[in-house]
Amino acid sequence: MDITSLFTQFLSGLTYGTILFLVAAGLSLIFGVMNILNFAHAALWLMGAYFSYTFWNLMQEHSFAFWLSIPLAGFAAAAVGWLMEVVLIKRIYKRELYEQLLITYSVALILSDTIKLTWGVTNKLIVRPEMLRKPVFIFGAPLDSYFIFVILAGAAVAIGLWWFLKYTRYGHIVKAAVYSREMVGALGIPIPQIDTWVFTLGIFLAGFAGGIQAPIGSITLGMDTAIIIQAFCVVVIGGFGSLMGTLVGSLIVGEVLSFTILFWPEGAMVLIFVITAAILIVRPWGLFGTPMRT
Amino acid sequence: MKNKYFFATILFMLAVVLPFIVPVFWVHVLTEILILGLFAASFNMIFGYMGQLTFGHAAYYGIGAYTTGLLMVKANVPMLATLPLSMLSAGLCAALLGYFCVKLRGIYFAILTMAFGQLVYYIIFQWYSFTGGDNGLQGIVPPEFLGKAANPYYFFTLIVVTIGMIALWIISESPFGYTMRAIRDNAERTEFIGINVQRYMLLNFIIAAMFAGLAGALWGPFNRSVAPDLTNWMHSGIPVFMTVMGGPFSFLGPLVGSAIYTFLMATVTSFTEYWPLVSGVIIILVVLLMPGGFLGLIDEKFPFLMRRGNGTGKTDGQGRQER
Repeated sequence: MDITSLFTQFLSGLTYGTILFLVAAGLSLIFGVMNILNFAHAALWLMGAYFSYTFWNLMQEHSFAFWLSIPLAGFAAAAVGWLMEVVLIKRIYKRELYEQLLITYSVALILSDTIKLTWGVTNKLIVRPEMLRKPVFIFGAPLDSYFIFVILAGAAVAIGLWWFLKYTRYGHIVKAAVYSREMVGALGIPIPQIDTWVFTLGIFLAGFAGGIQAPIGSITLGMDTAIIIQAFCVVVIGGFGSLMGTLVGSLIVGEVLSFTILFWPEGAMVLIFVITAAILIVRPWGLFGTPMRT
Repeated sequence: MKNKYFFATILFMLAVVLPFIVPVFWVHVLTEILILGLFAASFNMIFGYMGQLTFGHAAYYGIGAYTTGLLMVKANVPMLATLPLSMLSAGLCAALLGYFCVKLRGIYFAILTMAFGQLVYYIIFQWYSFTGGDNGLQGIVPPEFLGKAANPYYFFTLIVVTIGMIALWIISESPFGYTMRAIRDNAERTEFIGINVQRYMLLNFIIAAMFAGLAGALWGPFNRSVAPDLTNWMHSGIPVFMTVMGGPFSFLGPLVGSAIYTFLMATVTSFTEYWPLVSGVIIILVVLLMPGGFLGLIDEKFPFLMRRGNGTGKTDGQGRQER
């Protein structure tokens, strides 16, 4: 095992970690603010991938099609997420845990079949533009140039989110709501609207991640069932409602998957669940979460 | 109390008579209803009686199914002997994993049980030499005396499930069962009166897993095969659906839920492949419109049918009656 192939493996882990981060960041934000564990998150991620395929397909003759279809996928998924929040999720904030889980689980089932009905069962493929087809060489390690784009886009979103939470008024409200919804409400801030926009933002991130994921391989039905569990693991490892935690958690999961596949492929997912369970047992609030939350 | 036994007796008599009336396809469906009903009832020991939501209960169901499958296929152990062994193996795994789960509550309990469930799933999925990996195990044939027809295996299942349900009923009505209710309603106070809450919860977790294992053990020979999907988190959602559909606040709720769910699935899948979509819509409607499930609705509309006299009824603050 030489250093170049280790580096290649590291970068592929980083790429997968980036996708996981984008999915899990929304999941963590939604759970942090509203205490809703959104099972449907990955279904919306997959929907984002299909949306991006459709947009790319519609604009195929233009050179900007590839680049534009990714953010458009985010917005299209966000529209679905907004509708889901306003019609359904709003009714269950005060309900029991199991009812909330069942509702989002049911939405996941419905969305998966909706995807099947809309886009059919054949796999979809997005053709990358010329510049992203050739491998690039970093320290002599051949690397898919699209991976570089994924990592950069993910980093940009992470910085943007961090800036939003740290320096904007709405970011401050969201951060405060993670600690105490009641207190934020008592200050006269309309919690229901905050809920709607946090949910929509979270789903936008998922749809955007789907758009970014789409050109990596082909888009297939059922891709969402594996990633939702991995995203749960990321959020548990990092801590619900913590952006930093989600970032670290997704890098851990991405790299662990990437390197165990090299040494012990059968054990990759087993190892992820052992880490997740260990974190839950020792620090249920995660590496960067806070134990104050009830 | 009298009325409760009355309802159970009606159900049992229906279960005895129906297979002689309906076509053979529906006898298979009835067998499935019973097996999954026992699975859901065992889930409700943790959910309804202990007040914790487990999203990894299929792991123990799958462990039971695989124990029976492996013993029958690889060691030629007679099926009757594999049933208690399946309960034992599911119980042992639950003792190991549950030890950690019962330290947590609420959402963390749900996620940890799910993580352990997925752990079991991936171990079974990847361990080709032992479990057959994603091919599963084939050729799990029920013993000769049950023949090849549907009815004998159905009645065998009915006997085992009835014994299992009676055992669960006795446990839930014992002092132990009432301790579980106390823990569900207020774990802190229960601790204060000198009860080791975690130990009791672990014991209940093991009991629930053993009966899930028994249900799983019945599944393998019924289906002639087992597959790793039996243990994954999607499958863990099924007892949750059934229990909520039937009514989590009564003992027979999960069984009734299993009957509704399995019947609907058998009907709907015969003319469309979009069962997940249909089931998703149904579950949303049930959660939003009838939170007490089917038995809760009956109870509300026709209270004289199921009057409860055991004095444990407790409203949960939203006007709903708990056991």
